[in-house]
Amino acid sequence: MNRLNQLPTLRITPSEKLSLNYRGKTVQGVAGDTVATALYANGVRVFARSLKYHRPRGLYSLDGECSNTCMDVNGVPNVRTENTLLKDGMVVKEQNVKGSADRDWLAFIDKLDWMMPAGFYYKTMHKPAAVWPVAMKQIRKAAGIGVISADYQMRGQYDEMFVKAEVTVIGGGAAGMSAALAAAESGQRVVLLESRPHLGGCFDYRVSTTAEGTPLYQRARELAKQVEQTGNIRTFKHTSMVGAYNNNLITAFQVGGATDAFTERYIEIRSDSVVVATGCIERPLIFDHNERPGVMQVGCAHRMARTYGLLPGSEAVFSVGHDLGLEAAVDLFDLGLKINCVADIREDGQNPELMLALAERKIPVLKGWVAAKAHGGKKVEKVTLSTVEGTVNRQFPCDLLVASAGLTPVTGPFILAQAKMGYDSLTGYFLPTTVPEKMFPAGRLTGVNDPAAIEASGRLAGLKAATAAGADMGNLVAAAEKAAASLPGPQRGCKLVTAPVKGRKSFICFDEDTTIKNIKQAIEMGFDVPELIKRFTSAGTGPGQGGIPGHNLPLFVAKYTASINTPVPTTVRPPLVPTFLATYAGYNHHMFKHTPLHDSQIKDGGIFRNIGVWQRARYFSDDFDCKEEILNVRNNVGILDGSTLGKFRIHGPDALKALQRVYVSDMSKLKPGRIKYSAMCNDDGCVIDDGVVVKLRENDYYLTTSSARAGQTVEWIRYHTRFDGWDFSLVNLTDAMGVINISGPNSGKVLAKVIDIDLSSEAFPFSGYQEFTLKDAIFVRAMRLGFVGELSYELHVPASYTQAVWDMLKEAGAEFGIRNFGVEAQNVLRMEKCHVILGSESEQRTNLLDLGLGFLWDRKKADAKTVGAVALRQAEKDVGRLKLVGIRMEDDNRPARDGALIVDNKVRGYVATMRKSFSTGQAVGMALVESQLADTGTRLEIFEDECNGVRLYARVVAMPFYDPKGERMKS
Amino acid sequence: MALILTCPVCGKRNGYEFRYGGEDKGPRPAEAGLTPAAWCDYVHMNKCTAGVLKEWWFHRDGCGSWFTTWRDTTKNLEVAQPEASK
Amino acid sequence: MVAIKRQSPVQFKVSPRNTEVRDNWTVALEYDEEGRGPWLADLAHKTRWDLQDSKVGEQRPCDLAVPATPGSCTFANDTLVNRMNRTQTSVYHLGAAAPALPDFAGYTDVTESTVFLALFGPKAFHIAEKLSALDFLDPAKQAPFLYQGPFCHVPCQIVTLEKAADGSGGFLLTCSRGYGDSMIHAILEAGSSLGLRPAGENRFSAWIRGLQE
Repeated sequence: MNRLNQLPTLRITPSEKLSLNYRGKTVQGVAGDTVATALYANGVRVFARSLKYHRPRGLYSLDGECSNTCMDVNGVPNVRTENTLLKDGMVVKEQNVKGSADRDWLAFIDKLDWMMPAGFYYKTMHKPAAVWPVAMKQIRKAAGIGVISADYQMRGQYDEMFVKAEVTVIGGGAAGMSAALAAAESGQRVVLLESRPHLGGCFDYRVSTTAEGTPLYQRARELAKQVEQTGNIRTFKHTSMVGAYNNNLITAFQVGGATDAFTERYIEIRSDSVVVATGCIERPLIFDHNERPGVMQVGCAHRMARTYGLLPGSEAVFSVGHDLGLEAAVDLFDLGLKINCVADIREDGQNPELMLALAERKIPVLKGWVAAKAHGGKKVEKVTLSTVEGTVNRQFPCDLLVASAGLTPVTGPFILAQAKMGYDSLTGYFLPTTVPEKMFPAGRLTGVNDPAAIEASGRLAGLKAATAAGADMGNLVAAAEKAAASLPGPQRGCKLVTAPVKGRKSFICFDEDTTIKNIKQAIEMGFDVPELIKRFTSAGTGPGQGGIPGHNLPLFVAKYTASINTPVPTTVRPPLVPTFLATYAGYNHHMFKHTPLHDSQIKDGGIFRNIGVWQRARYFSDDFDCKEEILNVRNNVGILDGSTLGKFRIHGPDALKALQRVYVSDMSKLKPGRIKYSAMCNDDGCVIDDGVVVKLRENDYYLTTSSARAGQTVEWIRYHTRFDGWDFSLVNLTDAMGVINISGPNSGKVLAKVIDIDLSSEAFPFSGYQEFTLKDAIFVRAMRLGFVGELSYELHVPASYTQAVWDMLKEAGAEFGIRNFGVEAQNVLRMEKCHVILGSESEQRTNLLDLGLGFLWDRKKADAKTVGAVALRQAEKDVGRLKLVGIRMEDDNRPARDGALIVDNKVRGYVATMRKSFSTGQAVGMALVESQLADTGTRLEIFEDECNGVRLYARVVAMPFYDPKGERMKS
Repeated sequence: MALILTCPVCGKRNGYEFRYGGEDKGPRPAEAGLTPAAWCDYVHMNKCTAGVLKEWWFHRDGCGSWFTTWRDTTKNLEVAQPEASK
Repeated sequence: MVAIKRQSPVQFKVSPRNTEVRDNWTVALEYDEEGRGPWLADLAHKTRWDLQDSKVGEQRPCDLAVPATPGSCTFANDTLVNRMNRTQTSVYHLGAAAPALPDFAGYTDVTESTVFLALFGPKAFHIAEKLSALDFLDPAKQAPFLYQGPFCHVPCQIVTLEKAADGSGGFLLTCSRGYGDSMIHAILEAGSSLGLRPAGENRFSAWIRGLQE
């Protein structure tokens, strides 16, 4: 197809050829083409088949308001080809067709529409029950749009950015650019968003002139140049606004161009004020077969020629309701289009200059006439025009029917910002009745159409927005107000909704194949609210998000129900245009913490798991039972990376008071050189944390928390002291120190080779605390603990030195056969000792007493108002709470799974942790059971998922299972 | 996602940076003579006002302060302290 | 025999051209092909202190004043004093050596607690805006200033030392040490299309020298 290559309005570069693959053939487009225009240039007229009836569909709006031109591009389904710039080598396929879009075997379904009235699915899909599962499958196969394979991998670079500005302007047309320029005069930061790949809006393709005689396209380019030269305006082109939220948070996404590093990027803009200059789209004209390929809107036909150099037909009929339609007819005629007739819905009110221009070109104009039916199968061949009343008909041949009932403002941003919308009887638009705070409408969506008025309204809105954002614009606002008032205001809009037709094949929604007849059926069934009719008929629920039926549906409902109330619009929700989930996901950085020993744990064969915010080595071999790791700790010496442990310093005159508030124990009894194990409860007495506390000196303490609680510890202590005004300071040292745990009967021997302090039980007893400096450089805090039930030392080492100390210990331990053990081995070792891990042996409702840790609680410090104490006092009197007990399976080779239920005729508890214990040869673990089942010797029945009726049995046994007297860890 | 809160230390910030700390119910009651019901009310009962409410918030991703502010729960917007409460 | 070496929480994929051993740290002085910026420098070896006291405003770390309002900073003699809140201040020593921790209970040496990075040069803040919603280029703020807020979803202390409306300038960032690998990965990925490269201490020192003149 020959292009009009010399037009000054073009947005394509005809010399720069790009190729795309369509249905296996390589065809050519040019730079600046969208996928849709490139296909059109190659003769494609039927782009897709409709959702339900498999009707042929073609170019209609050129802005992607319906699924007509949704196609599969590079394996991605439902790509809006009208909005997608052509890139070299794209592979494009039709969707929802059997055969091809042009010859679709399922086209016969169009004839069966009588079988599928409104609400067809709701009413028929339930009986007879046996038939429908089968039928539904077939229906679902035949209906729909694109298909994506479940394992499709999204390609591309998805970027994100968080922009801060004082003023955001949505829409880069004449009004938006004027608003941005005006706001920028304040020196504030201005962001300008434009959904098309270029600025210009409705000026961009028009050759009609301003009052000064400048063609509008030229004026648009002048404004765009000014915008680009203004340093404090940041312009994002090819960027669709998708969401508006409280406090004027705007979200959008940008499609990357040829030189951008991103495929798409998500943009989140926080600004003080917002100008909405989104302009208008066209209100579709409804008549029989109003979506045949060859029927298109005014802007579509006009931009095809002016922007892309493609004359959209050879012989045309226009059926329009606004002056832009007449302007397009004149201009397209001058570009070589034969025009057989222009039908204008309006009886009067046309721009006289345009009427004169039409007359000069001998184009017949019928006032008060409208298209009633498009004839032809896969494309328009002729059209029946009728008077608006339907009294007289005439037919005209054509291969292009330019049809548009009127304009409709793009008010999505206002609706998202919770504005109340009302019907404006002059323009016929739904407009915000109260504008949200610091949000300003500008341009065509306010009803103005005069070019100077569009710019003036933009300038005024921009100045107001800058003022609302805190700038002092002096008397500029008043001057702009005066200037805008002197120009033509909102114009009367055309109100006609449908041609005089019955509506069986008159489509109000293209995406969902909803006809006027369907709407009537719904109303006759009793629906009277557009929002409900929308859901029942699914009009406006497709990918176009109501772009086609959004305005017409409430107008039609009001008219058909003879409502005395003004029409009520349906609502829209974010995202306003279809957005890739990949774009929302953005980088999706996985932010995990690594310990200072991370790399060496990997080298040592660690198998890692994400545990809370950390990545930790859980196993050191493929044996997930960890037998070797466990036995080496029991019989020899093992070494563990425990760096994830929470570590804090609390200091200041009131530090002790804070500790007394959050810990159940009496922290005034801390002894120097000794550690104290204690727990924190919440206000319900439920245990949330356990750890040790060391008194370093007066008013200065060091404490540890469980790994999972470290992130909330400061928050927790500050929360529970927030009314007290105490003077204490907290320092989170969790990441400042690596923790090396060295455990096993030979651990002391290994340690003695590295450090020169007295490790005898007298000098460094169980529960002892020591500080020393290693190699004159490394300050170490050492604790003697017994979590795993053996002689065990925990070294807290500055993070940067942790690897060096670890390596020293490994070197020293080589002669003993020291080896790493992981989190799972530690889990089994401590389970054999019945040492609890919060979250394993406890859940939200488990209190201190349930776990048997009541001995930690000091009841004599009521003045401290200890968190949880009141609830614990009450819980002591409760009967029937769950108790933590030790259990052993009757079959020692079949440990129950963690979380298995303890049942009789109802659930009586659950297994917390259970493993095959290599140290004892028994299958043992801990369970939370109702107190009636807690006596030693009680037989428990255990239910596991997928047990097929077979129960497991265990008995309550004494705790702990290993070294009950604790001789090994204390020796 | 669009809540903005004013941290007394850091100023206006994205609501995502904060953790909710519940309605303001005043300091912990003294333990002496406290009935179980009164304690339960203090810990668990909330006004759930549809309107303006005084609440605790924690600047988790920022300075780590606990502070109170007023929020209109019907609009999810921070508002000035109502005159009546002053 | 195990060498007594200190390890930074971050490792760049490229190895430095010149290094220097200082207090058991191996400090990268310069990399091959550092490019024209923006740059990312690892400052883990620079000493950081936490200072907390009910009267923190009366303290004079390294003989510098603690700023009166939270968010403001004192920057002189290669030392940065950042007021965090009513009772807390952080002190960064950006020069080659740091003094000993003062004998006052309010001080804690937190050098080991955090990742410490400098991101500076042209387009530094265009990288920042991909990872954080914090408003570094707020015209109402004058560098240096402190933000405590999320960067790539991780709570950070960020001190903007220099900024211009075109997005150039630079800032220091600290976050929990454990996030080192993740943070570096995120920053380098976000900066890759803008030419972000690792830089050595020399370039960082030259930058802050310029700022203090």
